[in-house]
Amino acid sequence: MDYAIETSGLSKEFITPRIIYRAIAHPFTKQKTILAVNNITISIRKGELFCLVGPNGSGKTTFLKILSCLILPTRGNAVVFGYDILKKEDKVKAAIGLIIGDERSFYWRLTLRQNLSFFAALYNLNPLQSKKIIKELSCLLEIEDMLERSFQECSTGIKQRLAIARGLLGDPQILFMDEPVKSLDALLRRELNIFIKDKLIKERGKTVILITHNLKEAEQLADRIAIMQKGEILACGTLAELRAKINNPIGSLEEAYSKIIVD
Amino acid sequence: MVYLSKVTAFIRKEFLIQSSYWMAFIFSWLGILISAATFYFISKLLNSENMISVKAYGAGYFPYVLIGIAFSGYFSTAMHTFSGNIRSEQITGTLEAMLVTPTRLSTIIISLSLWDFIFTSINAVIYLFFGAVFFKVDFTQMNIIASLLILTLTVISLSGIGIISASFIIVFKKGDPVSWLVTISSGFFSGVFFPVEVLPKYLRVFSYFLPLTYSLKGLRHAILQGYSIGMLLPEIAVLFAFCIILTPLSIKIFGYALRCAKISGSLTHY
Repeated sequence: MDYAIETSGLSKEFITPRIIYRAIAHPFTKQKTILAVNNITISIRKGELFCLVGPNGSGKTTFLKILSCLILPTRGNAVVFGYDILKKEDKVKAAIGLIIGDERSFYWRLTLRQNLSFFAALYNLNPLQSKKIIKELSCLLEIEDMLERSFQECSTGIKQRLAIARGLLGDPQILFMDEPVKSLDALLRRELNIFIKDKLIKERGKTVILITHNLKEAEQLADRIAIMQKGEILACGTLAELRAKINNPIGSLEEAYSKIIVD
Repeated sequence: MVYLSKVTAFIRKEFLIQSSYWMAFIFSWLGILISAATFYFISKLLNSENMISVKAYGAGYFPYVLIGIAFSGYFSTAMHTFSGNIRSEQITGTLEAMLVTPTRLSTIIISLSLWDFIFTSINAVIYLFFGAVFFKVDFTQMNIIASLLILTLTVISLSGIGIISASFIIVFKKGDPVSWLVTISSGFFSGVFFPVEVLPKYLRVFSYFLPLTYSLKGLRHAILQGYSIGMLLPEIAVLFAFCIILTPLSIKIFGYALRCAKISGSLTHY
């Protein structure tokens, strides 16, 4: 098994909910559908840092949610770490970690340690294993001195690190990161990006699928980049391959992105 | 073992959060005392000698209503805990974080509700304790095993309705008709405040379709008169039937709701 993720013809259509008065006034009009993910066939290698970029509403998050078994695809299928997302949901979830930039997703009245302990139990870790991994991750993310603080007392940077620690609790092989550093200052962003590249990919051999709006970041970090628009992958490849696509061997990702999106 | 440690983690998490709001505990228990005292003084106004239907339980109106309000807490917990907790986790954004772990949604929903059932049990014991200590209600005849059996069947059967109600919340987010209908009807028809026998015959029919009617009747007999399991067989049989029907039905409906939410992509929406 060389690939961490393989998708074939993955599509997701959403039916927009009907407002009652419209359903009564126009009972025979068809409900609108939105094609959020359109026929994506892609293979992501193990140990790869794969960036998904694209305008808002281009289907990046929906794509990740399908791979995380939170949304069912309308057509097509995906295999995550060798497990079919439609048939082996538990195995898929044991192989992945989802890191979202949303700081709401923690219990604000609990301490960082209590938050991590709770989620560790959901990753099937017993109290001893949980204690060990919390110690290890808090050292790795440099939050060991903050563990007894309540979540609501922590800065955004610490909260973001905690989100990364939570994503790593189950020692997942694949990490889905949806704008994990979006509300951090430049210095912290840089630190965390180095952490992703050096500690997660190089040292631990994880596969990372990263959604970002920061094209510079994608350019510096990614092994390959996929540019998405309207649910489709318009272009996918290394920076050099994307440059070749726009016939500019020294162009930036921003240039390639603009050209590919506009074309 | 893994399941047990997950369940423990949920209970611990909820205890830590709730105990951080310690004033709420104090006021909730103070509320129990005030509520018990209110019904005690109302019972003083009423002449229990004339209450033939109440006398069937071997005590006056106050012990009758005390058990009604103490154990109807299980009913409101079962009705609201599943849907309420799911909605609250959706709003705080923690549901998504739970759903990407290798933990099934059914485990999450059941575990989330356990703290509420524990808290309801503590409250029920406090009701009985206040009743015995401050208002001299006699519980010496209580048949503990029969009471616990009826309570277990009550929680299982009511949880079936609660899970159906949570299924509506998963799909529609707000406005769940099951909880509304059952809550409205049970308070009136199940004999919480007055025996169902005092209702006109055509209204009494509704009480036969509510599990709470049988559980309150059984609990009163077991707690106040020490009825044995054998003597309570009619109530136990009906509650058991409710469990047999409602548990698989609720699991089926819940599975369907989960699939609908995954198709519409609204599992974590609120």
